[in-house]
Amino acid sequence: MPTIDCEGARIEVDEEGYLVNLDDWDETVALVLARREGIDEIRKDRMDIIKFMRDYYKQYSAFPLLRGVCRRVHQPRDCYSEKFLDPLKAWKIAGLPKPDEHVIGEIRGEGGVV
Amino acid sequence: MAKFTAKPDELSKIDFKPPKKGWMDTPVEIKEHMFCHAAKPKELDVVGFPNAHEWRPNDEDWKLPENWEKTLLEGMRDLLGKYRSFRLFMDICVRCGACADKCHFFIGTGDPKNMPVLRAELLRSVYRGNFTLAGKILRKIAGARDLTANVLKEWWYYFYQCTECRRCSVFCPYGIDQAEITMMGRELTNLIGLNIGWIAGPVAACYMKGNHLGLEPHTITSSIEFFVDDIETITGIRVNPTFNRKGAEILFVTPSGDLFANPGTYTAMGYLMLFHELGLDYTWSTYASEGGNFGFFTTNEMAKRLNAKIYAEAKRLGVKWILGGECGHMWRVIHQYMDTWNGPADFLEEPVSPITGTKFENTTSAKMVHIAEFTADLIKHGKLKLEPSRNDHLKVTFHDSCNTARGMGLLEEPRYIIRNVCNHFQEMPEDTIREKTFCCGSGTGLNASENMELRLRGGLARANAVKHVHEHYGVNLLANVCAIDRATLTTSMDYWVPGVTVAGVHELVGNALVMKGEKERTQDLRLEPFPGKEGNE
Repeated sequence: MPTIDCEGARIEVDEEGYLVNLDDWDETVALVLARREGIDEIRKDRMDIIKFMRDYYKQYSAFPLLRGVCRRVHQPRDCYSEKFLDPLKAWKIAGLPKPDEHVIGEIRGEGGVV
Repeated sequence: MAKFTAKPDELSKIDFKPPKKGWMDTPVEIKEHMFCHAAKPKELDVVGFPNAHEWRPNDEDWKLPENWEKTLLEGMRDLLGKYRSFRLFMDICVRCGACADKCHFFIGTGDPKNMPVLRAELLRSVYRGNFTLAGKILRKIAGARDLTANVLKEWWYYFYQCTECRRCSVFCPYGIDQAEITMMGRELTNLIGLNIGWIAGPVAACYMKGNHLGLEPHTITSSIEFFVDDIETITGIRVNPTFNRKGAEILFVTPSGDLFANPGTYTAMGYLMLFHELGLDYTWSTYASEGGNFGFFTTNEMAKRLNAKIYAEAKRLGVKWILGGECGHMWRVIHQYMDTWNGPADFLEEPVSPITGTKFENTTSAKMVHIAEFTADLIKHGKLKLEPSRNDHLKVTFHDSCNTARGMGLLEEPRYIIRNVCNHFQEMPEDTIREKTFCCGSGTGLNASENMELRLRGGLARANAVKHVHEHYGVNLLANVCAIDRATLTTSMDYWVPGVTVAGVHELVGNALVMKGEKERTQDLRLEPFPGKEGNE
């Protein structure tokens, strides 16, 4: 199993870099995961989105409806757009397991969910 | 697999020159971006499909089960005995070619094996070789051939390049239903574990949890809660849907895509607003939470099992009848198959609109009404207050879903609604609409990402017609009544006709609907400001 280094600790990720254990996550781990996605820092407003995704996943085992996310974290309704934070990257940085392929297709605008 | 990157200019150069050798001597070439990934064994195991195994379509060895030829031929014999239509369609084609250029996949690929006649011939040749005397004796002269691993690959490749849209059947002088042939082809591939992930995943999820995404009950209510919040922002009215409510008059079932995928979510908001305004005594179900039926793209038996869930839930809740949302293949299942699989649903009552008193006599057996019929009837009886000028920034055309148009004759109702909720409506050329509508190019579970070239090629014919009305009449919105359309035409339009948005009909209804006690509307259902109201947010 591959691991990533987080302040000396080895944390397990899967072959595609998704965190294996949900509870291994904290904001420091998030930053390490973010760097792997080419994001150097996580502003507070982005961290709020990431944390909301984690909470939503824990409660609902699902990817949240994106425009609902922005409302719940009190941000503009395009808060999840690529300009701010690619939702699939946000999900990965939130330490959540790889989403269903249909969800990935939908988020990418390829029409995966019917 | 590398991402598909070809540009529209490149993709629209289609080579219609047939190969030098005859079709039987031209082996299948499994091309990247034209096929879907294999089903995961665990997804087939969930529903008890046989011979689930790991394999990859572009590998030489498909790891077929022992005696796979025998399994397939026995399967074919079984299907021929069970479905007279199948035997008839195997026997009666005279290969006149009337269907040849009617298929969106042939138009978009130029591949002769996508001519419906030849796609069917892939199966017919094996039928002749094994089940007809002439074929057994005269072999190739009689158009017969053996079932080999390459023939099987050809079956698989092309039966997952047909969306069962049935446009070709409209032009067939014998009325051969090509969809039924593809369905038989797919039934056969399922006997030896050769399904695709994009179908097997939703089937397994729907079987286990009631919907394609596997959304759990509290997740469904949470998603609808998001819509309720948005509706309140737009109208000032908090609608109050109920879930799993016993004794409700009507059970409402829609494709689960409407709960998660844009622009379907806006269509769902339209339903919620309409039902609230009517004071309709209805309930959502978080168990029968899927109108679509991907089982229909595997085997008849699987489709029947999934269809039964809706009726079991209607019985459990004790509703009088079922109202169904904007979906395509859901309605082919309900209208043409449900009754012989699980019907008649005589524990339900004949559907009567509680608002207008209209009896929906077209569905006395299935007891399920399409929302376009329901809403058109409301408008006809003057039961809705509408302000179509709210949609004045939209120049709308309507894409008939293959299944609602050809599968149930739902042609006028959506148009009637659109004409009443929008002031600008323009039809596409007549050979591309109504019974002759072109498929979106991604139906029957082919709406994956890895087969993007196939989808865009398949979508070209529809896109061309949209492009025509976009360029000549300024059409900027493609309305439809199907979840697969909403999801996949968006991709197709972004590629072929940028500037055209896709929307469900009930999104337009929601925009135009004047609700009692609503605040001044400044935003549409997407929370975009109406033109001229930009400063009022």
